[in-house]
Amino acid sequence: MSAYKALSKSNGDKQEAPNGIKKNKQRVLILSSRGITYRHRHLLNDLASLLPHSRKDAKLDTKSKLYQLNELAELYNCNNVFFFEARKGKDLYLWMSKAPNGPTVKMHMQNLHTMEELHFTGNCLKGSRPLLSFDASFDKEPHLRVLKELFMHIFGVPKGARKAKPFVDHVMGFTLADGKIWIRNYQISETEPSKVSTSSDGTDAKPKVKKNADGKETEISLVEIGPRFVLTPIVIQEGSFGGPIIYENKEFVSPNQVRSEIRTKKAGRYNQRAEQGVERLAKRGELGLRTNGGRKAKVDELDTGTLFA
Amino acid sequence: MVVKGKLKMALVAEKDVDFKKLNLKKKEKAARKKKAQKGGDKDKPESNGKVEEAWVDVEGGAEDSGSDEDEGETETAPMQIDFEGIDESDSDSSAGENDQDNDLEDDEDDEDIPVSDLEDLDDEEKEDMIPHQRLTINNTVALTAALKRIALPTSKLPFSEHQSIMTSAPVVIEDVSDDLNRELAFYAQSLSAAQEGRKLLKAEGVAFTRPTDYFAEMVKADEHMAKIKAKLIDEAASKKASSEARKQRDLKKFGKQVQVAKLQERDKERSKTMEKIKDLKRKRQGADTETTNEADIFDVALEDETAKPSRKDRIGPNKRAKKDEKFGFGGKKRFKKSGDAMSSGDLTGFSSKKMKGVKPSRPGKARRASKK
Repeated sequence: MSAYKALSKSNGDKQEAPNGIKKNKQRVLILSSRGITYRHRHLLNDLASLLPHSRKDAKLDTKSKLYQLNELAELYNCNNVFFFEARKGKDLYLWMSKAPNGPTVKMHMQNLHTMEELHFTGNCLKGSRPLLSFDASFDKEPHLRVLKELFMHIFGVPKGARKAKPFVDHVMGFTLADGKIWIRNYQISETEPSKVSTSSDGTDAKPKVKKNADGKETEISLVEIGPRFVLTPIVIQEGSFGGPIIYENKEFVSPNQVRSEIRTKKAGRYNQRAEQGVERLAKRGELGLRTNGGRKAKVDELDTGTLFA
Repeated sequence: MVVKGKLKMALVAEKDVDFKKLNLKKKEKAARKKKAQKGGDKDKPESNGKVEEAWVDVEGGAEDSGSDEDEGETETAPMQIDFEGIDESDSDSSAGENDQDNDLEDDEDDEDIPVSDLEDLDDEEKEDMIPHQRLTINNTVALTAALKRIALPTSKLPFSEHQSIMTSAPVVIEDVSDDLNRELAFYAQSLSAAQEGRKLLKAEGVAFTRPTDYFAEMVKADEHMAKIKAKLIDEAASKKASSEARKQRDLKKFGKQVQVAKLQERDKERSKTMEKIKDLKRKRQGADTETTNEADIFDVALEDETAKPSRKDRIGPNKRAKKDEKFGFGGKKRFKKSGDAMSSGDLTGFSSKKMKGVKPSRPGKARRASKK
């Protein structure tokens, strides 16, 4: 029995159940680098509360030796790593990796809003298993398929997770738009259909009537829970925090570059103005309109000065 | 020497070494040569002919000028000589060795020269330049291999194992900055997934709906939900208060007119009742019952139509009302006469003629003369 246990433990990802069907077994190590802001931290906590199969660890000291995460994951028996890397106290990068031997995805996180600041009325059981809704565009390109698989492993709660609760009461949406991945989290609220069909409160709820198993109709509507964030994939590595780069997003512009461009643009405004001033002076000098410097105006024969000299 | 040069050119053509670097080096060398000549070194001109073709040799000669500029040159020189050694020794080298050479070449290329420094190059030289660009890496084979390694066999697994649903058609969002439509698209996507997921889970016999009496820890704690609720209430209250305030403001605008109208009506009513009372009194006295008709007793409105307009009913300038309007009658007197946006925007009383003042008309010449 113990030998069987040991075997099954070592074989992390997919476990051979006695009846021959592979089981989905995931554990996620969640941690961040040092230097994250409070919002990043709150978001991390929100996500950890949504993922009962996760193990949160203390902040990682180093930003360069990320391969250490592999050892950490092994230590905690995790086969996924979910790592927040903060840079300059404002930019947040998300690393997602399959721990022992990859692949790893690095993404830039933008527009993040934690549950607390969103004030959404939705709520769900802590540790209930979500439905994962993917945009069909995830199947189009190989790198997107890798991303989808990683999302499925990390955000999908496996069936046998220890802290998971039995009911399905929320749905996570992953949508691809504008080269970015938008992630939303909704509560599934089922209500008995009201007699008056027009009584739906038109804020967020669009009621859809559906036949229930026992002939009763319940309306499904969604109420957003939060958090919200947008991810831009940057790089996919073959190994786990190492190995060759097998995908690189050419369209990604680093936030540093964006900031520097804004700065140079601002500086450019001043330079342009200064240049214009010099040009104007030169032009006026050329026309002989300046008292000192520049070319002197040609003396006209009919000038009063020359006429009556 | 010349043979070497030809060989080199062929090599260069094969490897397409960047010419700009070579050119820069040549220029540098020419400058140095001039220096050396000025110094009175008479030996140099002999080697000049060779210099153009075989620049490696020149370095040996140039070194004895002993200037500091040479240091950079001498560092790179041995490497280049090595190339030649390799390439010359086995001119029909294998592909593997060529690769090695290219690698070395790449290393050399890594120290890029900014484009701004190259502006003074000739046009033909510029044509050879290839601006550096970030390469797209999209190794499809490796990606699919990686995917295959980690992928769950979703088709074989029961749905309840993975619970992931793909939309049938890709979600199209025209404008990502249009918040409302974007969120609507996300919502629709998740909603369809929820419906489909419920169907599939019910079919597999997995519990979906949470019973109302199942209590457990939620993602958002009670105090968090209370905060949200408080916020909602706050929002609703402020909305209501603002609408109330607006109503009040509107009322205030018309309040004056309403009040005046009401007072007039009251006056009218009073006078009417007084008249009726008088009539009744007269009837009691029994003097002229005939003059009043029965309808009056029963308060039929016929009288209103037939009666001739009294002083009060007269239509015309109502002096009292006007005065009330002007000086105020009831209510706050404060700020009544102060200007507001409306009054300052009102230009009906404005006349430029008035502002300039009325000039007395100039009398005629005769009259003016007589005044004197």
